[in-house]
Amino acid sequence: MKNILWIIAFFALTFTGDRLGGLVLENLVSSSEFRYSRMYRGEAAADMLLVGNSRGLSFYQPYMEETTGMSTFNLSYSAMPMNLADALVRDYFDLYETPKYMVVDVTLCDRLNPQLIAGFNCYTPFSKRLYKLIDESNSTVSIGGKVSHLFRNNGEIFQRALYYSNRLDEDWLLDREISARLMKDVQDVDHPTVELVPEMVEQLATLVKFAQEKGVTVKLVVSPYYLPFARKISNLDEMVAQVENATGLEVHDYSRAMDQAFEFGDYQHINVKGSKTFIQLLKNDGVLP
Amino acid sequence: MKPGLPEFFNLSIEAMVFNSVAFFVFILSFLLIYFNLKGRTRIWWCLIGSYVFYGWWDWRFLSLIALSTFVDYYLGLRISQKEDQASRKQLLWISMVMNLGFLGVFKYFNFFAESFSEVMVSMGMQPGWNTLHIILPVGISFYTFQSMSYTIDVYQRKIDVEPDLLRFATFIAFFPQLVAGPIVRASDFLPQFRREIKWDWNRFHSGSAQFIWGMFKKVAVADSLAPFVDHAFFDPVSNSSLHLAIGVFFYAFQIYCDFSGYSDMAIGLARIMGFDFPENFRTPYFSKNFSEFWTRWHISLSSWLRDYLYIPLGGNRGGTFGSWFFMLFFMAIPVVLLSSVWLGIVFVSISLAVFLYARKNPDFKLKTFIYLNLMVTMLLGGLWHGASWVFVFWGFLHGFYQVVQRFAGPAFGKFMSLLHFPAWLKSGINIGLVFFFTCFAWIFFRSPDFDTALKVISGIGSFENFNFANVTNKFWVARGFLLISLLLVIEIAQFKIDFKTWILTKPAFRTASFAFLVWVIAFLGTFGSNAFIYFQF
Repeated sequence: MKNILWIIAFFALTFTGDRLGGLVLENLVSSSEFRYSRMYRGEAAADMLLVGNSRGLSFYQPYMEETTGMSTFNLSYSAMPMNLADALVRDYFDLYETPKYMVVDVTLCDRLNPQLIAGFNCYTPFSKRLYKLIDESNSTVSIGGKVSHLFRNNGEIFQRALYYSNRLDEDWLLDREISARLMKDVQDVDHPTVELVPEMVEQLATLVKFAQEKGVTVKLVVSPYYLPFARKISNLDEMVAQVENATGLEVHDYSRAMDQAFEFGDYQHINVKGSKTFIQLLKNDGVLP
Repeated sequence: MKPGLPEFFNLSIEAMVFNSVAFFVFILSFLLIYFNLKGRTRIWWCLIGSYVFYGWWDWRFLSLIALSTFVDYYLGLRISQKEDQASRKQLLWISMVMNLGFLGVFKYFNFFAESFSEVMVSMGMQPGWNTLHIILPVGISFYTFQSMSYTIDVYQRKIDVEPDLLRFATFIAFFPQLVAGPIVRASDFLPQFRREIKWDWNRFHSGSAQFIWGMFKKVAVADSLAPFVDHAFFDPVSNSSLHLAIGVFFYAFQIYCDFSGYSDMAIGLARIMGFDFPENFRTPYFSKNFSEFWTRWHISLSSWLRDYLYIPLGGNRGGTFGSWFFMLFFMAIPVVLLSSVWLGIVFVSISLAVFLYARKNPDFKLKTFIYLNLMVTMLLGGLWHGASWVFVFWGFLHGFYQVVQRFAGPAFGKFMSLLHFPAWLKSGINIGLVFFFTCFAWIFFRSPDFDTALKVISGIGSFENFNFANVTNKFWVARGFLLISLLLVIEIAQFKIDFKTWILTKPAFRTASFAFLVWVIAFLGTFGSNAFIYFQF
């Protein structure tokens, strides 16, 4: 009998600890300065919304704001897929006044990423839309999040929220310069391609239409690749055409627009220096107001 | 995936691993019935459960395990009935040929066929065959070794023959350790079927503790380190040197936690069911030399290799024809594969010099044979892990380490004593050195080929961008170090605190520690279909 009671005590302790721990973690997430925490807390009102994957982080907010004179909010995240961006943008539109501008790096249509989507489980207490998306892409994770509130905060997104608990993430961008080894090895890279997922492109088109109906000016761009690498990508033009056909919008292709190695962190990402050049290019071409 | 079920309950074929929902459903239903049965019915239930468990991966390979069982059972009986040594030996050879034949066909056929093709191409010939599409039956290396050890032990009259086919079949297929060990000897396991098994709370507590601890190692530590390691080894050229170094460091803990985690879960489950399995890992990264490392790492395999390979080769007593044969075989491989005449000349010269000197110097001869036997054992141990030259090289490195240790160990010991370091610092240096060289060998073990391994080594050695700013996925790194620290703290605490006794005698401690591990697994574990690394072996 004693043993049974101890087993019951184990379950009770596990459950209570899980709920208490979950509550503490939820408060940590909610009070963080991480972009999504600020957004769901109601502190992210902006004139311009920036959307993308890790390449979307090259919309370096301090320069963006300096160049355009507009307030910005960047929703980008490394390896973010379009369906996740769609949920976040729609949540943003629900929570805030409609922004004037939305700039999207279209390469975020290049993948489905249920793993990253699952990581956003820590924001499900604040967004039914995110919960639905997670449930659709991986029901194990959504059920797991209900069973254990600690599990809900199990992931990189929570850790990042923790990391930014006392600091802003607006200057989140690569600081390094591309290494000599990478520059040398680019010759060995075997014909890379950028393959967009058709359903993600469709979702982008739907989001563009939705935003335009709300009166938002939408700009689609492809941010720069390290030039010797970009020259090896055989299907960049087809990729751009694919997005233009689906959305009916011009895609401003900067994939081969920058040729200074020191402005890149690696083959696919510009660094802080590169971002300044890129934003100036966007401004000069009228992509940014 | 099977259609028509929500994903949570979708018990995919790949998902029948200890850390899956499918397995929890299986084990709960299994144990519920298991403890309500008695005698032979219970053993039947064990066998059925084991075959269901194994058939979940691929039911076609059940025939292989059944065939292996029948043949070794029959041969064991025949060996025990024969009195003359020649007939007994003949029967043993049949068993060896069958077991090694299965391994050869299913595990090594393509490997040797490809290697032989490469040799022929390098000699200007075109081989006239193709490799076959052969699926590796999961766990074949484990149950084959288990089965072989039985017939060898019966042949050597170390154990009595098992007359009961049901017990023997359950011994071969027992599901907790079927697919990834530990390799349990017949002498340890078969007698346990004869004792009465009842529900025992102490067994339940200690078994559950070991199972949860294994789960923590696998789900929280190993699987959390895996993405960073995969990233580092997938494209070593693109990663900075510190990134690669952390990748190797993490891999050392990934493979340890993955494999020892599985062993812990297997041992824990078996204990709940009333069976005692030997320990398979004993904090191996705290070893102060390589001989000690191999008494702490994959103990069931290293002791198997010691008893069934190293000692028959001559062990510490000298050499046999087998020692020379295997050594020459392994030396010939790089010569032929690299088509290097010079390497051949070097090997032949060294071998001749050693041979001639050894003829005149018995002490040197004995040492040479011991080193040869060690090298051969480790080379074959490497090959056991997988059909690839990188595994053989990994085995070579571990053999080499042990030879160097025996050769230069005393001098190193004297050197250390001259420095008058405190004992803890000496131990620390020894542990650090063993860990460093073990990590170096892991690079080859983890790499798909030599090219990748060399890129990782040259990447780390270049020290290019050796700073944390150039490490990508820093959150994986932070999480990895946190979990490794937690693991080490608990493992170090084990040296001082007798957790095993505490688990049984302090229910509050047991309840709190179980809950703590469950919280850590929920909060930091990585869930998905991460199969165990050793399943591929």
